Amino acid sequence: MDARRWIRAGALGGVVTIFLALVGLIGNFTGLRLVGEQITFARLMLVSAPLVAGLIVAAPRIEGGTRRAATLSEAIRGGAVAGAAAGAVFALGILFTDWIGDERVRRIFLNVSPQLMEFVTFEQAAGVGAAIILALSAAAGLLGGVLRVAPATIRRPVTAALSVTLLFGFLQRVIPIAFDQIGLERDWLYSASLGGLTWIGALVIAAASAGVSIVNSRYGSRLRGRFAGRPDTGPGVRPTTLVLGAAVLGLLIAAPQLLGSVISEVLGSVMVFALLGIGLNIVVGYAGLLDLGYVFFFALGAYAVALLTGATLNAFGIAPEPAISLGLNFYVAIPFVMLLAAVAGVLVGAPVLRLRGDYLALVTLGLGEMVTVLVGSPWLVPLVGGPSGMRGITDAGIGGLGFRQPQQFYYLALAFVVLAMFVSWRLAASRIGRAWTAMREDEQTADAMGINIVRFKLLAFAMGGAVGSLGGALFAVKIGSLTPASFQVLVSIQVLGLVILGGMGSLPGVIVGALVLVGLPGLLREFEEYRLLAYGAAVVAVMVLRPEGLVPNVRRSRELHEEEAEQDAWVKAEEPAAEGTPA
Amino acid sequence: MADSEASPAAVRQMTRFERLPWRRIILLVLGVVIVTVVVLGVFRTLTSAQRFSGDYWIDQTVNGLAQGAILAMIALGYSLVYGILRMINFAHGEVFMAGAFGSFFFADAYVQSGFLNRSPVLALLIVAAVAISVSVGTAVLLERLAYRPLRNAPRLVPLITAIGASLFLQNAFRGFFGPQPYPFPKPQILAGNITLLGIPVQRIQVLVLIIAVICMVILQWFVSATTAGRSMRAVAQDKEIASLMGIHVDRVIVMTFAIGGVLAGIAGVLFSLTFEQVQFTMGFRPGIAAFTAAVLGGIGSIGGAALGGFVIGLLQAVGPSLLLTGFGIPSVNSLRDAFVFLVLVLILVFRPGGLLGSGEAEKM
Repeated sequence: MDARRWIRAGALGGVVTIFLALVGLIGNFTGLRLVGEQITFARLMLVSAPLVAGLIVAAPRIEGGTRRAATLSEAIRGGAVAGAAAGAVFALGILFTDWIGDERVRRIFLNVSPQLMEFVTFEQAAGVGAAIILALSAAAGLLGGVLRVAPATIRRPVTAALSVTLLFGFLQRVIPIAFDQIGLERDWLYSASLGGLTWIGALVIAAASAGVSIVNSRYGSRLRGRFAGRPDTGPGVRPTTLVLGAAVLGLLIAAPQLLGSVISEVLGSVMVFALLGIGLNIVVGYAGLLDLGYVFFFALGAYAVALLTGATLNAFGIAPEPAISLGLNFYVAIPFVMLLAAVAGVLVGAPVLRLRGDYLALVTLGLGEMVTVLVGSPWLVPLVGGPSGMRGITDAGIGGLGFRQPQQFYYLALAFVVLAMFVSWRLAASRIGRAWTAMREDEQTADAMGINIVRFKLLAFAMGGAVGSLGGALFAVKIGSLTPASFQVLVSIQVLGLVILGGMGSLPGVIVGALVLVGLPGLLREFEEYRLLAYGAAVVAVMVLRPEGLVPNVRRSRELHEEEAEQDAWVKAEEPAAEGTPA
Repeated sequence: MADSEASPAAVRQMTRFERLPWRRIILLVLGVVIVTVVVLGVFRTLTSAQRFSGDYWIDQTVNGLAQGAILAMIALGYSLVYGILRMINFAHGEVFMAGAFGSFFFADAYVQSGFLNRSPVLALLIVAAVAISVSVGTAVLLERLAYRPLRNAPRLVPLITAIGASLFLQNAFRGFFGPQPYPFPKPQILAGNITLLGIPVQRIQVLVLIIAVICMVILQWFVSATTAGRSMRAVAQDKEIASLMGIHVDRVIVMTFAIGGVLAGIAGVLFSLTFEQVQFTMGFRPGIAAFTAAVLGGIGSIGGAALGGFVIGLLQAVGPSLLLTGFGIPSVNSLRDAFVFLVLVLILVFRPGGLLGSGEAEKM
């Protein structure tokens, strides 16, 4: 029985690897070296599915109502079998492609290039390559299995060492720049010719992160307790949180100076999306209203600021003024933009608020899509420029200080993000925030307790819309021009994705989500093409495996696991995320 | 908030005032405005100087019916799944796209070998079979991997998952086959027009209408007269009781997704034959339009989905020119999609239960 389960998990892993190859991810990253010359992102992907299969088959299981960890021998056998099964499936794929000829497969699957075939066979004959894949996968599966059953004192440092080293490998275009700016020697860490970490650098980082992990698990809680000066359970903001927040803020302020203008540009986009995320978080996370048309407020903010501060239509030859052009200062315009967005939120919300959650989602999707079509339609050319858009949006400068350069813009956006986070944080803790929570958890009960559902829903729409329009306004001054292409329905989905990845209702989650979903793809340009694929996969994976998100909001997470808490303890043990929850 | 200090009587009056009349007033005003705009627009279009010819309207009506038949077939997939799981399968448009894409490679190979024109019926049957199996495979995998683990999750969780799955599928196909559109071959026998009742109709449209009607009749028979259909209806009414009655609920749910996939696959082939092109984004807009159709007809009802499909098809084809040209709005057909969304919003606001539905979309 066990063998069948192992093989099934492994075969699924093999299918995943084939998917990665067909979709082009493996072929496109053969040149992205993470460590030394041999460890590329593509090779990592080849062994990652078998590794995960190994982790899965060695996970604790429910047997006869009790949770039982796999023994070491089970983990070794299971991991190896699962890894080998994954490798076998992929190897069969290689042999099949080789048999019918890769040029024929390529006619359908564009990514099956000769280079890909060379890569997956390690430049050997297909049979030899398949055998290598099989052996490598079995080894990876074995490693996964052993890692899963190893005691925490070994598992945690190893996991920390591996993941931090890989993260440094991926940040190969960020960290060297920072080193240069501070004036540190960096050739020992990153290889100038290959791009990735050097072996020595990788070893140092792995050792350091393993060391930190060991120290943390052994002395961490004691240290934190002494540092905090009181138990961790006190009310209000914990000193540790404050210190952590201050450290993050310091890092965020220093970032553009350390990282140069290219990365500051990416960070600027991260901040714009973080602002949108903070706004959507109010609607989705606090009030529990799924809004799929958030691009509406983004577009509203951007076009409103353009019209209020004065811009010209994008046209050939002379650039005509739009029908409305007020020439206000950016900071004078912002309150009006937010007010406009809040009113629009109420107007949009009023007729649809009685709808059930999923219908509300679709109505908002429809409204968002209508905005996209409208701003791009020839009908509204005199107002917003139609398909060709607007340009010449006034910079948000103060005195002689402009904000168009990436590094300067970043500070402007950061200031707005910090402000929005503060307001949103206080809002969540206020009477209004508690009313939203009550409403989200059980609308009828909240109604019965005297909370005016309609008013609080409208308030959530208005507040969320106002913050979202800020994101749009910043976007407009960042770029200086607007086209309808920037206001696709995908924006709504991206913002929703980052809120969900971070954890609905969690403010740090929004920042983490924006960094991961906007920042990482922005830094790895090759990844741009696969960004949306990753969004989709991330949303599904988070919802299925960990619906509370990466940085969960405590109350929200309890809500999502309410049913489990009601069930018997041994059924609760089935929850897969339970083991990986950070302490 | 502010008025929490007020006396209880005042509070009660306030809420009453705010709750019902506000919504009613807004809805009433909206309704009056919309009716005025519609009447005015139609009147001005029909009386304006640069009038469309009668042939134009007939053409558009036929186009709309054929388009509506395809939408109806996709809408049935939404409706069936919704009826059983009370869940909007947002990725159903991608199931449709997957079928169309899968069948493209066969159709393309057949047209190059000449098989498609030599024996079009057999070739199209094979192409349709491929589309159906790809769509069914996608739908069933989706159910197994993404939706089944969330069977008892809060209601919005599966919807968000479905949105993620939709994005994932779209971009997976983009990764597989590239972002460019592929020309879908049309057999010569389906090219050109035939004349029905004195009206020239494209042959492909005749095929679309016939096949759609056959599919709907078969589906209606399946759901109402077979054992499997009866178990589907039982699961739709109450999953727990159905499982106590010996119905394998998981199997019925998979079957529902599979039936939705069959219809989406056939619709995918018909859609590609009509527009002669496949692309990874092709599922999104028909998907939304079909969902609108399902809601319009009353989601969960088969007849409703069919009716809704035809109505939306007609509205899409005739609506923009009939309503908007009267106001002198240029290139109205670029607003066609906004029109569908407008209809979706209006139905959900005014009659959330749909034309044939029961009105359960609104909370008590």
